[in-house]
Amino acid sequence: MTTTFSLEAEVASLIVEALHLEITADEIDPEAPLFGEGLGLDSIDALEIALAVSRRYGFQLRSDDERNHRIFASLRTLTAHIEKHRTG
Amino acid sequence: MTSLPLTARAPEEVIFHRGAVSVTTARFLAEVADLAARLPAEGPVLNFCADRYLALVAFAAALSRGQVTLLSADRSAPRLADIARGHGARYALSDTDAALPVPVLRPDATPGDAAPNPLIPAAAVAAIGFTSGSTGEPQAHAKPWGALVAGARGAAERFGVTAGTSVLGTVPAQHMYGFETTLMMPLHGGGAAHAGTVFYPSDIAEALAALPPPRLLVTTPLQIRALLGSGVAMPALAGVISATAPLAPEMAAEAEAAWGAPMREIYGATEAGSIASRRTLDGEAWSPYPGMRFEIDADGARVTVPGLPAPVPLSDRLVWVADGRFRLDGRLADMVKLAGKRASLAGLTRILTGIEGVQDGVFVAPDDLDGNPRARLAAAVVAPGMSASAVVAALRSKVEPAFLPRPVVMLPALPRDAVGKISRGAILALAGKR
Repeated sequence: MTTTFSLEAEVASLIVEALHLEITADEIDPEAPLFGEGLGLDSIDALEIALAVSRRYGFQLRSDDERNHRIFASLRTLTAHIEKHRTG
Repeated sequence: MTSLPLTARAPEEVIFHRGAVSVTTARFLAEVADLAARLPAEGPVLNFCADRYLALVAFAAALSRGQVTLLSADRSAPRLADIARGHGARYALSDTDAALPVPVLRPDATPGDAAPNPLIPAAAVAAIGFTSGSTGEPQAHAKPWGALVAGARGAAERFGVTAGTSVLGTVPAQHMYGFETTLMMPLHGGGAAHAGTVFYPSDIAEALAALPPPRLLVTTPLQIRALLGSGVAMPALAGVISATAPLAPEMAAEAEAAWGAPMREIYGATEAGSIASRRTLDGEAWSPYPGMRFEIDADGARVTVPGLPAPVPLSDRLVWVADGRFRLDGRLADMVKLAGKRASLAGLTRILTGIEGVQDGVFVAPDDLDGNPRARLAAAVVAPGMSASAVVAALRSKVEPAFLPRPVVMLPALPRDAVGKISRGAILALAGKR
């Protein structure tokens, strides 16, 4: 089995681990909404993801970021945001 | 009939920080009068403002017109529709673009001419808060103006909130805990609240740093955990108040060491409001607020709250300790609390088994529900031909996100013990394997 390393896969694993989700990382549709319909995450999860992101990638998510809804729109948008702001 | 003014604060005192603007009592009263004059003739009004100051102006304007404010901590569309229908809401005051089940008026804070401080009858119902009952339907809890004022005065006294204390809340204005500490307290207790919405650790730290000291943080164990875990730098704090779930002593100790401020907790419920407090590191005993009368017997615990017409049953078991203080001894088995909201397991189970295609099912609470801020409910479901995700999708329109089960265990039949009772232990064991 070959594994293609990508940040998107890494973020997917981070979400699954941080939230104890029942699915595996590769079952997350990168284009599907993370909250509400789709993966069905809620505000407790948002705080948990923010914490995991700050620990792994060394920067803080913020709610006054105008693009906050877009950042959490999908795994892909969250990954893009992390790619841009990571310090670790 | 006794009346109490809208606010007890002096005209020049600052009661809110709204961005760079410090709002004085005089300015607040002028803005309330301006909005009140533009309100529709009749309430009740659904208050949906995210900006805490606009939420306060909206509440006060409605109150001054004799209109009842509906406060729903649950912002989901189905619940808001239930509440609007059940209570005949005529309109909503909202500063967001969210679709609401009634016509929306957008409040804005317009400084008008100097306005008087309206007198409000103490017995008038000012607001109605909601909880989920055992049927899953919203249950209404009316708040007379006198009870809200008494609670605000008690809280300010208990926590030593002075006129100049800055109060940053992370709990929504429409949650009874947030409403009491960040809307009512500036009106009648003291302090100046922060208007903006904060959620992530860095939001909280930055908003606090922008407020003049002394600073009081009003938050929850979940956010304290995130603040400590993220390691953001916090400005000097005078104190932290936590509520919605018990704060673990270990976390309180870590926070006191990191922030150099006492960690105190409020015990309360939507029905009763805030009724007791403690400093977490002083031990497990709670000191009742002044004027509260607790009755504890074999049937459970009830509290008589000044200003409320009848004793309020509590969903926790209480045990007296010394000096008129009590400790919590678990909750009534059916009631669970997550993300500051309460639900009945029986009510959730009824919703689950009402889903088309579900033959049987049950919600269960894990053993660490009360101590682990991240704990979730589990569900066991018998629904041949349905997937776990289809069950969750069906629940999503009827149940608040925090109560959606994780995991959902699909079974051919529910595990039952020798006497035919559903085995909670067996279900939790299956859930734990996932």
